Amino acid sequence: MTAAPPLLQVQGLSVRYGSVLALDGLDLEVHAGELVALLGSNGAGKSTTLRAISRLVPASAGGLFWGGRPLLPLRTEQTVKLGISHCPEGRRVLARQTVAVNLELGAWLRHDRAGVNDDLERCYSLFPRLAERRRQLAGNLSGGEQQMLAIARSLMARPTLLLLDEPSLGLAPRLVEEVMGTLADLHRNGQTLLLVEQNAEAALAIADRGLVLEAGRVVLRGSAAELRQNSGLRASYLGG
Amino acid sequence: MPDGSLLVQMLIGALLGLSVYLPLAAGQLSLATPGFMTVGGYVAALLSTRVAALGGAEPLYPLPWLLLELVLAAVIALALALVVGLPVLRLRGIYLAIATIALNEILRVLLLNSSWTGGAVGIFAIPQPFGDPLGYLAALLLLLLLAGAACQVLAGHPLGRAMAAVRDDELAASCSGVDSFRVKLLAFGASAVLAALTGVLAAHFFNTWNARQGSFDASITTLAFVVFGGSRLWLGPVLGGLVLTALPELLRPVGDLRLVVFGAVILLGPLLFPQGVVTPALLQRLPLPAGWRRRLLP
Ligand SMILES: Nc1ncnc2c1ncn2[C@@H]1O[C@H](COP(=O)(O)OP(=O)(O)OP(=O)(O)O)[C@@H](O)[C@H]1O
Ligand SMILES: [Mg+2]
Repeated sequence: MTAAPPLLQVQGLSVRYGSVLALDGLDLEVHAGELVALLGSNGAGKSTTLRAISRLVPASAGGLFWGGRPLLPLRTEQTVKLGISHCPEGRRVLARQTVAVNLELGAWLRHDRAGVNDDLERCYSLFPRLAERRRQLAGNLSGGEQQMLAIARSLMARPTLLLLDEPSLGLAPRLVEEVMGTLADLHRNGQTLLLVEQNAEAALAIADRGLVLEAGRVVLRGSAAELRQNSGLRASYLGG
Repeated sequence: MPDGSLLVQMLIGALLGLSVYLPLAAGQLSLATPGFMTVGGYVAALLSTRVAALGGAEPLYPLPWLLLELVLAAVIALALALVVGLPVLRLRGIYLAIATIALNEILRVLLLNSSWTGGAVGIFAIPQPFGDPLGYLAALLLLLLLAGAACQVLAGHPLGRAMAAVRDDELAASCSGVDSFRVKLLAFGASAVLAALTGVLAAHFFNTWNARQGSFDASITTLAFVVFGGSRLWLGPVLGGLVLTALPELLRPVGDLRLVVFGAVILLGPLLFPQGVVTPALLQRLPLPAGWRRRLLP
C-alpha cells in the first residue's frame, strides 16, 4: 500500500441504536484518490457507517480520524468544513426550492464566489439535465434527476472526500449506468469517494477496492477485481 | 371605519405575527412570543413608573427614555432566549415548543406573585410618550417597516436560504455544512427581540400592563396569525396579524355572532388555505409587476 497516511481512518467503530448494534468494530481506511465501495444488503450498517463518519450519529466505541485528526468530537457541519461531504440516503433534496437554490446550499460554507460559479457550471455540464431545469422546483424532478441533484449539491462543497449513499437506488438500469459513469469520471479526475451500494456489480465496476458488510461486520474485503471474482459474493450479490 | 386605536392594535398583531414567523421560517415553533412581549412591556412599565428620574411625571414621557426601554427590553429578551434556546435547540424536533410553553408559565407565575411587578393587578398609569394614537401608529409602523424590510432582505440572503433548508430538511442542511443550531438560535433570538420591542410600545399604549398578556390564549392567537396568513413568506403573518386583530372589532355590529364568525375563520382558514392565505403560488397568480414578484419570492 501507499506510504502516505490515509485520508480517512476508521478504527474499531461501533454504533448502537438503543439495543441494536448496527456497526460492530468496523476498520476502514480511505486513501486520497481512491474509490472505495462499501457493499452489503439491507440493514448491514452501510448508511450507519456514513452517518458516523459525518457525525450524524454518535459512536459507541472506536475512533475516527481525518488525516490523523480525531473526527469524533466534531459536529456534522465541522466535518463538511474539513472536506467531507455526505450525500445522504434517499436524496434529501429541498423539494420546495429550485435546482439552483439546492446547489447554492451545497456551497454554503464557501466564500469564493468565482469558484462557486465555476463549480455550478461544472455540475451543470456533469449533469446536463439539471442545467435545463435550473429554475424548476427540485420536488418536480424525476427520481433520477433528484439523485443527480443530490450528488451535484454534495460536489458544490468541493469535498476532499465524497460519501455517497446508494446513488443507484430506484434508478432505471440506463440511469444507473449514467450516474456510475459520472462517478467514474470524478474518480478519474482525482476525486476521493466512499461509495455505499447494494448494487455490487455496478459499484465494483468503477471501484478500486471494496468491503462487504453483514450485520455490522466486515465479512469480505479486497480489490474490486478480487471481489468481482469472489464466488460467495457472486452468489449473494451479483446474481450468481 | 376603524379608529386609530384599532389600527394600533392591528399593527401590534402584525408585529407579533412576524415574531412567530421568524423561528417557524427555521422550522422551530416558539409559543413564547406573548411571553417576550410581556417581558418587554414590564421593562417599559417598571422603568417609566418606578424610576422618577426618567420623567414619568412630565406631560409627555421623553422619547430618549423610550429608546432606552427598547434597548433594555431587547437585551433582556435576547438573554432569556439564549437561556431557553441554548439547551433545546441542539435537539431536533418540537422541544422548543415545549420549552417556550414552560417559559411562558414560569414568567406568568413569577410576575403574578411578585409585589415588585404589581402582582395580579399589574402596573397602572404608564406614562404616555405620544399625545394621541397617531404617535403610536407612526412608531409601530416604523418598527413594522424595519422588521418587514429585514425579513425581505433575509428571504434573498444565504442566511434566509439556510433557515429554509433547516426548516425543510435539517439533515440535508447539516450535510451541506449549515450550522443548524446557530441558525435556529438566531431566528429564535430575533423573534424574542421583536416581541419585546412590540411589548414596550404596547405597554405605553395600553397604559396598563399585567401578566395576562402572556397567557396561553395569547400564544394560540399569535400562532393563528401565522396559520391564517401563511408561514412561507413574511407578508403572510403580517396579513394574518392585521386581519385577525381587526376582525373581532369589525364584527362588533353582529353582536354575539362575532365570536362564532371569528372561530369559523380560524377553523376554516387552514382547511381552505392549508398553507395560509399568502403563498408563493398566490404571488405567482396576482397581477404584480414582475420585479415585485421576483423580489417577494425567495
Ligand atoms: N435510527 C435508527 N434507530 C434504530 N435502529 C436503526 C436506526 N437506523 C438504522 N437502524 C438499524 O441499524 C441497522 C443498520 O442500518 P443501516 O441503515 O446502516 O443499514 P444499511 O446497510 O444502510 O441498509 P439499507 O441498504 O437498507 O439502507 C439496521 O438493523 C437498522 O434497522
Ligand atoms: Mg442505507
